[in-house]
Amino acid sequence: MAAPVSAVAAGSATVTYSPALRVQGMDAVSFRVSASFNFPRQRANFQSIRARRIPKRFQVSCSAKQETVDKVCEIVKNQLALPEDTTVIGETKFVDIGADSLDTVEIVMGLEEAFQISVDESSAQEIQTVEDAAALIDKLITEKDA
Amino acid sequence: MPLPPPPSPSPSPRMPGVAGGRLFASLPPPPPLRSRREVHVWYLLPDELNDASLLKMYTELLSPSERKNALSMNGEKLQKGAVLSRALVRTTLSRYTDCKVDPRSFEFKKNKFGKPEILWRSDDSRMERPLHFNISHTSSLIACGITMDTPIGIDVEDKKRKTAKNILSLARRYFTPSEIDYLAKIPDPDGQQKEFIKLWTLKEAYVKALGRGFSGAPFNKFSIILAANNRIQISVAPKVSNGSDSSCDCLSENWQFALAELNSSHCMAICIEDDSTSSDSENGRLPLGLKVWKTIPFVEDILVSGTEAVKLVS
Repeated sequence: MAAPVSAVAAGSATVTYSPALRVQGMDAVSFRVSASFNFPRQRANFQSIRARRIPKRFQVSCSAKQETVDKVCEIVKNQLALPEDTTVIGETKFVDIGADSLDTVEIVMGLEEAFQISVDESSAQEIQTVEDAAALIDKLITEKDA
Repeated sequence: MPLPPPPSPSPSPRMPGVAGGRLFASLPPPPPLRSRREVHVWYLLPDELNDASLLKMYTELLSPSERKNALSMNGEKLQKGAVLSRALVRTTLSRYTDCKVDPRSFEFKKNKFGKPEILWRSDDSRMERPLHFNISHTSSLIACGITMDTPIGIDVEDKKRKTAKNILSLARRYFTPSEIDYLAKIPDPDGQQKEFIKLWTLKEAYVKALGRGFSGAPFNKFSIILAANNRIQISVAPKVSNGSDSSCDCLSENWQFALAELNSSHCMAICIEDDSTSSDSENGRLPLGLKVWKTIPFVEDILVSGTEAVKLVS
């Protein structure tokens, strides 16, 4: 089934589609979407790309509960005092929203307090996205309640 | 920590000056790193860099993957910061190869713990002793530290940075007992915040110098001691003999620190490996030679060490 793709381009972005493989016996074609952004040469200002980042592959399975993801987003937004219109979702990488090491430890502490869990350094180091944090939290809660 | 010795009477190395408005001019070569104890730091202030053509030029120095990373940051300010970080690393490294290596041609790899290093091609035999670098950025200042032949870690922080969490709570969660005690004894919140930032940057600098990542050198396994005479020492928790514990290599104490207030706005901590022998320590240990430049690559370099812009704490 062709997945709907929204490509919002800020004038200087081009999105190309190339059908990847045709699954035998099924009427499904998965599109691999790649977006290439041309750095605007004509523009005088340093423009940010306003297009929403399009994931390379559409993930169907979620390893963290939406509820947990939402709570993590809230804690992160508070810690980083992000502007209201900033998008923070499961896929958001902490580095991409400007969280430095001090922010990160404060976020981890905030998560520990909110969820009554304890996160060790090596687990914390593995976290790259909000989704990763949420998945770890769910896992720790499950282990705690077991 | 004693101040670095005054410059020798022999002809001083060429001090970089204003290169004029001519962009694409080659970067003026800096004075060389004369010993393993010398650390050179180059920093820039993102808020001062708004010229579109200059930013475009910096962007063109980046590798395709660096550009892609920079553009994937959320928002213009973060994207600009990412570009400036990479441009600063590349232009700084280029300076120390007598500008024989174009900023664009550096390649980087990560060590097994994720610390970025230069990937030298096998035919780069002109680099007899390897350059080491480390970078740190805040939204308002990006710094690149560079050394010859010794691992380096650098961390900068806005000196007035307020934490969301209470300082002592943070300390109890992440620091060692001696550090918690040190902070707890400070009566006023501002003083406490200031000392926290000093400890934080020093600990970060050590972890970054070690290059093993946050979990490779957990904060609560080593103490930074700020002695009354401004000496900075590191003390590693004695390792409990445990046959099965092979994951944590013994943390070493042979590291040297420098702490300075930079640009009147930031706290900067530097950590390099200490190669002095035990007989050198205490009395004979040579100070870390620090030189600092404020830069707008291709436009202007200002040597600021020895001025108000760099106040050595120790």
